[in-house]
Amino acid sequence: MLKGRDTEDSSLGTSNSQEKQTLPIMQRPIPPEIPWVTTTNFHSLPTPAPSPQLFPPVNAEGFPPSAQEEFSRTVRMGFQNMDNLQRQRLLAELLNSCNTEQLVFVSNYISPRLKRDFLKDLPIELSLHILSFINDPKTLSRASSVSKFWRSLLNDEFTWKNLCVRHHFRRRSSAAPKLPPSPTSESPSRINKFSYKDHFRRRYIVESNWKHGGRTLVTHISPDTGVVTSLQMCQSYIVVGMDNKKIHIFDVSDGKYIKTLSGHEGGVWALQYMDEVLVSGGCDREVRVWDIITAKCKHVLHGHTSTVRSLKMKDKTIAVSGSRDATLRVWNIEEGLLLHLLAGHQASVRCMEIYGDIVVSGSYDCSARVWDIVTGECLHVLQGHYSQIYSIAFDGEKIVTGSLDSTARVWSRQTGFCLGVLQGHTSLVGQLQLHESILVTGGSDGAIRIWDLDTNRCVQHIAAHDNSVTCLQFDEKRIVSGGNDGHVKLWDIETGDFIREMTSAGNAIWRLAFQETKAVVLLQREGKTVMEVLDFDAQES
Amino acid sequence: MSTIEQKKVKLTSSEGTEFQVERSVAERSVLLKNMLEDVGENDMAIPLPNVTGPILTKVIDYCTHHRNDPIQNHDDDLKKTSEDIDDWDAEFCKVDQGTLFELILAANYLDIKPLLDLTCKTVANMIKNKSPEEIRATFNITNDFTPEEEEQVRKENEWCEER
Repeated sequence: MLKGRDTEDSSLGTSNSQEKQTLPIMQRPIPPEIPWVTTTNFHSLPTPAPSPQLFPPVNAEGFPPSAQEEFSRTVRMGFQNMDNLQRQRLLAELLNSCNTEQLVFVSNYISPRLKRDFLKDLPIELSLHILSFINDPKTLSRASSVSKFWRSLLNDEFTWKNLCVRHHFRRRSSAAPKLPPSPTSESPSRINKFSYKDHFRRRYIVESNWKHGGRTLVTHISPDTGVVTSLQMCQSYIVVGMDNKKIHIFDVSDGKYIKTLSGHEGGVWALQYMDEVLVSGGCDREVRVWDIITAKCKHVLHGHTSTVRSLKMKDKTIAVSGSRDATLRVWNIEEGLLLHLLAGHQASVRCMEIYGDIVVSGSYDCSARVWDIVTGECLHVLQGHYSQIYSIAFDGEKIVTGSLDSTARVWSRQTGFCLGVLQGHTSLVGQLQLHESILVTGGSDGAIRIWDLDTNRCVQHIAAHDNSVTCLQFDEKRIVSGGNDGHVKLWDIETGDFIREMTSAGNAIWRLAFQETKAVVLLQREGKTVMEVLDFDAQES
Repeated sequence: MSTIEQKKVKLTSSEGTEFQVERSVAERSVLLKNMLEDVGENDMAIPLPNVTGPILTKVIDYCTHHRNDPIQNHDDDLKKTSEDIDDWDAEFCKVDQGTLFELILAANYLDIKPLLDLTCKTVANMIKNKSPEEIRATFNITNDFTPEEEEQVRKENEWCEER
């Protein structure tokens, strides 16, 4: 590749090693394949050299080896004695006398030495600062394959912590201990010694599994054809309530069936569990309190005169039930006692949400009510909807209601005033989820809408399903929705873009829920009731 | 700051060359700003023994162009990406690696955060979307891994390829 060197072969054999030792300009080792090369082409200089004493007369045949060596030394010493300007002038003259081949040689020779190993040569904090501008893990991992030094630098936690922040891979300290053992947190020493790199790696794999990986952990096909009415997945269990009176319990970690709670004499229409306590209600008008571990029914709470349609727990002691009999009842579920009867609605209580000591209820009487659980007092009646309320969300400050009048309304819990009417859906707003200023609604028009509650504006409109949206959930990254069209779809919450279908289609999707690494979908497929548990966790490689 | 003609500040590079700049230009450097506030009105040249003349010339170019920029907000750090470099800045950074290297050191020493970010972003962009071999060629780095180590590193990094 260095053609200039061929012409010098005769001299290289003898002078090369000595030349290397005496070179004054060397700051770093010269790659062995590029030897120092002297040139004998001075005779082609168009003008006499400016400093004649440096350039003794040269005959056209060149020097014998020793004389040439002597000449090179003289040139170098002379060069060292020059000031910067003189050196530049001399170099320019030499370069001017070079042909293209020689210039290519010079260029190839010089360019590596004009390069710097920035990350190695800079102070480490500046190297890390450079890396902080890279938020692509692929680039970072490739960089760690460059050299030993780069690898050690890329193991620095700062870079990965930064990357975790950029990718919104928060450290969920509260949730972490509850997670089932995963491949990356197997050994106790690694649990104690948190590594952002490992954390990032795991979350990154999980994210990409959500987008285009993952596996079906288990598929349960029920022998009966019961309709799924309620679902909860968290902590250790997946709990499924059916209209065939049964409550099935599955293990979150492997999706395996654990047990069935039997006792209800009518379809189960509402349930919730906390720790090992589960409350359920349904067509038999009873509220039942269960111990999940023993599968024993601890209390059967009588009082409602019609179907229990909604149920929420405040904690392990207090639960509130809402019924088609237009009342809500506040129960002490440890003692099995009725604490308050909340009367006021004129029609069925369809939905409910609890935050702290406040419960909000939405009713077929077109109104929502705000109640104090402790005193049993009705604090506000929220009036404005023109039709039945089917869904409600409440974060302690704002209440959002979804109605058959195809709007959602935002209310102040403090004043009871309506803060906004969210228009856009063309049919019943049956699904709502609220987190901070983000509200996601799903309608019977098949649409999903994302709203910014700081402005009460619709920021995304997704034509999601060909039929009613029957269930949806979102977190900071994604929305998962299920529809009466039998599809479960994954959406990017930032852009509203469709990412993929999560399961093979069924006849209808009843319920779904997801966590960081798992999703559960309950659907009807080929006339059967099917439960699929999907897993997106990082697998042991 | 003042409406009257700005007072010049004298700076001396490592070779002893003296530079005169307007105070508002010099004050893009937090180091110089603090020094000027400490010493008050003074005709003494400020020695910058860590910065050579050619690098100081570049730094002054940068500070002169950006003399009226608003002060950078540190809260923006999270949003920073290496893509948001404007044309002038991109042109400014079209220098050899040695100069870029010295500019990073000078920006750090003089505490000019926007220049430090700019130069570091420029290096980051030289790393992005390259294979390890291309990165080595870009910065003239020798692969010092043994074949076994290289295989191990490759395995370690498998997780983010092909995703």
